Amino acid sequence: MNDAGNPEAERSLGRRWQSLCSACRQVFGMPDYERYLEHAAQLHPGAPVLSRDDYCAKVIERRYGQGVGRCC
Amino acid sequence: MNKLTSLLLWPAIAILGAFSFAALALGRGESVNAVWLVTAALCVYFIAYRFYSKFIADKVLRLDDTRVTPALRHNDGMDYVPTNKWVLYGHHFAAIAGAGPLVGPVLAAQMGYLPGTLWILSGVVLAGAVQDFIVLFASVRRDGKSLGEMIKMELGPVPGTLALVGVLAIMIIILAVLALIVVKALTGSPWGLFTIFATIPIALLMGVYMRIIRPGRVGEASVFGVVLLLASIFLGRAVAESATWAPWFTLTGPQLAWALIVYGAIAASLPVWLMLAPRDYLSTFLKIGTIVALALGIYYVAPLLAMPATTRFIDGSGPVFSGKLFPFLFITIACGSVSGFHALISSGTTPKMVEKESHMRFIGFGGMLAESFVAVMALTAASVLDPGIYFAMNAPAAVIGTTAAHAAEVISGWGFTITPELINQTAIDIGETSILSRAGGAPTLAVGMAQILGQAFGGKSMEAFWYHFAILFEALFILTAVDAGTRVGRFMIQDMLGHLYKPLGDTEFLPANIVATLLCVGLWGYFLYQGVVDPLGGINTLWQLFGVGNQMLAGIALLLCTSVLVKMKRERYVWVTLAPTAWLLVTTLTAGVQKIFHPDPAIGFLALARKFGDAAAQGTLIAPAKSIAEMQRVAFNNTLDAVVCGFFVLLVVAMCVFAAKICLQALKQSRPTAQEIPPMSGPQGAMP
Repeated sequence: MNDAGNPEAERSLGRRWQSLCSACRQVFGMPDYERYLEHAAQLHPGAPVLSRDDYCAKVIERRYGQGVGRCC
Repeated sequence: MNKLTSLLLWPAIAILGAFSFAALALGRGESVNAVWLVTAALCVYFIAYRFYSKFIADKVLRLDDTRVTPALRHNDGMDYVPTNKWVLYGHHFAAIAGAGPLVGPVLAAQMGYLPGTLWILSGVVLAGAVQDFIVLFASVRRDGKSLGEMIKMELGPVPGTLALVGVLAIMIIILAVLALIVVKALTGSPWGLFTIFATIPIALLMGVYMRIIRPGRVGEASVFGVVLLLASIFLGRAVAESATWAPWFTLTGPQLAWALIVYGAIAASLPVWLMLAPRDYLSTFLKIGTIVALALGIYYVAPLLAMPATTRFIDGSGPVFSGKLFPFLFITIACGSVSGFHALISSGTTPKMVEKESHMRFIGFGGMLAESFVAVMALTAASVLDPGIYFAMNAPAAVIGTTAAHAAEVISGWGFTITPELINQTAIDIGETSILSRAGGAPTLAVGMAQILGQAFGGKSMEAFWYHFAILFEALFILTAVDAGTRVGRFMIQDMLGHLYKPLGDTEFLPANIVATLLCVGLWGYFLYQGVVDPLGGINTLWQLFGVGNQMLAGIALLLCTSVLVKMKRERYVWVTLAPTAWLLVTTLTAGVQKIFHPDPAIGFLALARKFGDAAAQGTLIAPAKSIAEMQRVAFNNTLDAVVCGFFVLLVVAMCVFAAKICLQALKQSRPTAQEIPPMSGPQGAMP
């Protein structure tokens, strides 16, 4: 694809790839930092946000810390 | 949907489904194509989803999109996250799908493919999907509360506590039976053991990568994790063929049992980011990938069902598990049709992520239909195998002996002609030394999958690869379940111990953690070890104990659903949950009572305990036991199994009484008494 040719289409393709990755992360229960940033910007604009390391560590601890009920 | 399309589409699906069932039912005397079985199932799912789940959503539950869900109310970007309907469907399915729907149908295939198929399909539509859906609904309307908390809220504190004790007991039995499946699959299999063992360093590497080397880069770690995982399967073959390495990975059953017990204790004590989380990701990739590949494989290869529609073993004399079709089919196939365990998931993380109430129909009801489809595929994979091979793999050594020649003779005597050469050749094809008495579902399914996937991708030469891939896929999520389940068990034990002695309940107090972990591992480890050394098989006992427990839990969850409906004053529709509750109670109570008191030692725990105990007292040996001590152990363990089974029976009877009392009280009220969050409470901060 030509870089200068259609930046609009390319941006939307990039966005689609991002949202596909995000969907996969959510299905597999993985931390999704970009989504968290979006959430923080929307609900608590201006408030301090966690760093990527801290966010991921916290999400993994929250999800697995108490043990997860995995089905038989 | 366009009205005209709808008018044409649904009759077409109904006709296709009816045609598929006709092909299954009328194709006597010749083999039926597996595609008909799978198509019939899909048509049932579509119709049930379109009509029955809509009825439940609109009339029974009256889902209301103007109500604020917990995900929106608490939206914290961590636990409570409003999630896209399709994404949450995938997430929920990945959480409920496990080894259960794969193992039960394989064991039940001894009665032929038809009884299992009919129960999976009718059970999921009328009981399993209804349970998952309504528990999810109840939890969403109660701010994402767990099953135990909801029972406490709606039925009272005593039933709430009883339910928790029941869940812990079922958990212990599940962990033991899952670990036993792994032991049965890996005994004397260096290739299998190496690949499973390799997942430990791979997961550790991923954990360190995600935490220290490139913090937060989960995607990158996953990619190399999967690549290493596939490489380990190829390396496993080299290990199995190497004279120096193979002996290191050739373990006996008891050795493997100890290895798993030690593994469980250590794994459950490590930080979660180091092993549990990365391994869970790997296992979820493999799980979803394999299920999709299997579905495509069945349609592409279109194998014939070699197993007859029904076998003579519906009379209860089967070698894989004993007992008649009623009630034992209904506790052997648990997760594919209705599983109490799902009630824990549907009231766990999923309700905290539901964006709109109307999504619950697709996620709760639809998610369970997908799980049931996995069970149908497992049944298909077991039924495309030569029945002789099926019985050689699943009958205990006490029945068919330990040589291919003897096994072939016994199995041919049952009317399933098989030669020792074919048994040996099958073992060679999949890269193993023996396939005899590998009960537990996983290996049988792996051979079936290897034959289907081998024909679809890679041919005969790839069968051994696909076999070990299938074993890896099952063992991986079983080991994750052992790790995660031990943690859950530890928290439950600490919660209970905390009532006796306060410091033991402190989850930050290391000695208390260690005590509870060892207690949990010790409990399931005991049942596992006894299952491994049991001369009569192990799986046939433990799986039925698990089945009784799991279906009892489903009964309890459905009793809760029934009480919730009555308390909402929707008693007109109470049959939606009352009918499956009644059926579950009838089958599981019959099975439970028969397992304890049946006079036939092949079925009743107490009868078997008495037979071995009396003989031991007189000093006479009963084969296959080799010593008096072994016989005394059989007697003791069967008495213990009877006690556990009796506990499940009493628990569910008590729950029945509590629920009936609550329902009668609610019927007298003129207004709804269910303790839901009022519809007006909005997001935090948005509304007071």
